Amino acid sequence: MRKRLISVLAILMLSFVPVSGVSAEEGVSDKEIHIGQWGPQTGPAAAWGSVARGTDAYFKMLNAQGGIHGRMLVHHMFDDAYNPAKTKAGVKELQEGTGMFAWVSGVGTSPGLAVRDYLMDRGIPWIGPSAGSLHWVSPPHKYLFAVYPLYYMEAKVLVRYAVKEMGLKKVAVAYLNDEYGKNGLRGAREALAEFGLETVVEVPVEIKDTDMKPHVMKLRKSEADMVLLWTSVGHAVRLVGTCKAMNFTPQFMSTSTCSDFPLMMHISKGLWAGTICATFGELPDSGNALLQKYKKEAYEAFAAQGERWGLFFYAGIIFAEPMVEALKRCGPDPTREKLVAELEGLRNFKGIGPHVSYKPFDPNDPMSRQGTRETFLVQCLEDGSAKKLTDWITAD
Amino acid sequence: MIDFLQMVVSGVAVGSSYALMGLAMVIIYKTSEIPNFVQGELALAAAFFAYMLMESQGLAYYLALPAAVVFALVLGCVLEFSILRRAKQPTILSMIVITIGLEMVLLGLVSWKFGADQKTLQFPISPYDSLVIGDIFIGTLEVITFGAALLLMALLFVFFRFTRTGLAMKATQQNPVSARLMGIRTHRILNLTWGMSAAVGSIAGLLIAPTIMHPFMMWDPMLKGFAAAVMGGMTSLPGAVLSAYLLGIIENLFGGYISIEFKSVVAFAIIVLVLCFKPSGLFARHYVKKV
Repeated sequence: MRKRLISVLAILMLSFVPVSGVSAEEGVSDKEIHIGQWGPQTGPAAAWGSVARGTDAYFKMLNAQGGIHGRMLVHHMFDDAYNPAKTKAGVKELQEGTGMFAWVSGVGTSPGLAVRDYLMDRGIPWIGPSAGSLHWVSPPHKYLFAVYPLYYMEAKVLVRYAVKEMGLKKVAVAYLNDEYGKNGLRGAREALAEFGLETVVEVPVEIKDTDMKPHVMKLRKSEADMVLLWTSVGHAVRLVGTCKAMNFTPQFMSTSTCSDFPLMMHISKGLWAGTICATFGELPDSGNALLQKYKKEAYEAFAAQGERWGLFFYAGIIFAEPMVEALKRCGPDPTREKLVAELEGLRNFKGIGPHVSYKPFDPNDPMSRQGTRETFLVQCLEDGSAKKLTDWITAD
Repeated sequence: MIDFLQMVVSGVAVGSSYALMGLAMVIIYKTSEIPNFVQGELALAAAFFAYMLMESQGLAYYLALPAAVVFALVLGCVLEFSILRRAKQPTILSMIVITIGLEMVLLGLVSWKFGADQKTLQFPISPYDSLVIGDIFIGTLEVITFGAALLLMALLFVFFRFTRTGLAMKATQQNPVSARLMGIRTHRILNLTWGMSAAVGSIAGLLIAPTIMHPFMMWDPMLKGFAAAVMGGMTSLPGAVLSAYLLGIIENLFGGYISIEFKSVVAFAIIVLVLCFKPSGLFARHYVKKV
């Protein structure tokens, strides 16, 4: 009886003694930092699946270099098929099962919206959502740090360029009928209003639509001289192809999500040539030293066989760079609060994307959590390469 | 008026791929009374098989495309022989569930083997070339799909009406026990039906793949083909084809004149109406079974 009592007491005492090397912060141990990420590897948005694979290769590169203050980054990536229900289930499973220290990237506005409140209510940092939605920063959230330029800013920059530099004033918008598409539509409307103009037609595209003729008939009837495409990659290609089939050849412009030109040229059978897109990262063939380093040490060393070196792949690095920088600045004992403080301290941080700056949290200032307003415009050439039309532009 | 005509022509064009899938579904239903939900993935597997032959093996399209149709035929026969036939005391419900399971397995296999990136199938005609008649545009590939659907419908109609095997297939559907007693080898007939159906469906897959290929590319045509088959009465080959064209035209007119946002769902609203007011479908003869 006495022996049993002593055993119980010993177990109780041990349970209150901090175990050496185990950090109190969820998702951080002596040797590891657990980071979660979702991304569509299947389904209609699978073309953006390489974002998560890019982050994975980046983390492997960092681990090969010794990790961050000796801790390895453990990357937990899952396929949500761009289905918000799957995103929510996967995030909850990883967060409550394994315990993530923070979340990085995550493709899509709708999937992100499905888990935003879950993460914010628990004070779990989420850095660099792979979508330029206003929902991340309007209103701002203490633990959510956006890296991607806002879609509506991209749309503004494109429309201003079309009107001012190219003299195209009859602007039509074909947009995916969800938050992503509506953000682009809003930017286009605002930019046109600056010139006293309106869209000549606005054509919604549903995610399951495959026949684009009714859409193109509306675009053609409007006699638009510029069509802004704010859709998925597949829809954008079908729209351009159907326009060509119906002898309607306006200037096409599109969002950064359709700016991976080699991919777009391949699936459009060359019809993407001439399209102007906003973009947020160095061009794949750029001589930028950091980009070349990533290509050699992350992509060539750790990407799966058959993976293509393109914008979507290294976008996974762009979205994770500010988090990695802040983790380095946290020192040997990272906590979530320290991570937030270090992110807030980033000023004009430059990786391979735009300059990134945050401010101390201000619930009335979206820019306290929107890291960048920079974008630049590129035009797709016949060989699938990109011609830089502008330098980095800061949008409002 | 030009707009109206363009919408009708575009509706017929898009209806052609629904028609091919509808035909494939009707073939199996005529023999076994099973709505075959693996139909789309059989076509998907055939399209990716052709892609593999062309991209990895360097085979020319005129060899790869027929090879893919043969592959689909064999795959259909193998699935029927190795899985569906093994079902113990199958009910229609259990067979439907098996076809849904097979659909998931094939979809998973294609995703695993080829990845989810979007691709296109090499084809002698660009999916974006078009013919202009007056002010009306129609895609060249769509003309081919239209022709293929009508030709297959006519061939299948003749096959079911005038050949012994076709009649045996109809007999197997109407009364499998009597058919067996009359000397029809119903297992063999079912096997052939699955092969034929998969081959017809694969033609739809091969004509859709030159635009964009990805593992989910057959979901919409399969659902619309199924809708057309239901509208046509599930056993009528001309009914499935005509319903598919009707569906395509209504979709386009609805998108053009009423709401482009609800264009895709109008097909299913029509099915509900048809099933409410004419449950045997628009074109099928209504069979009354003696009990």
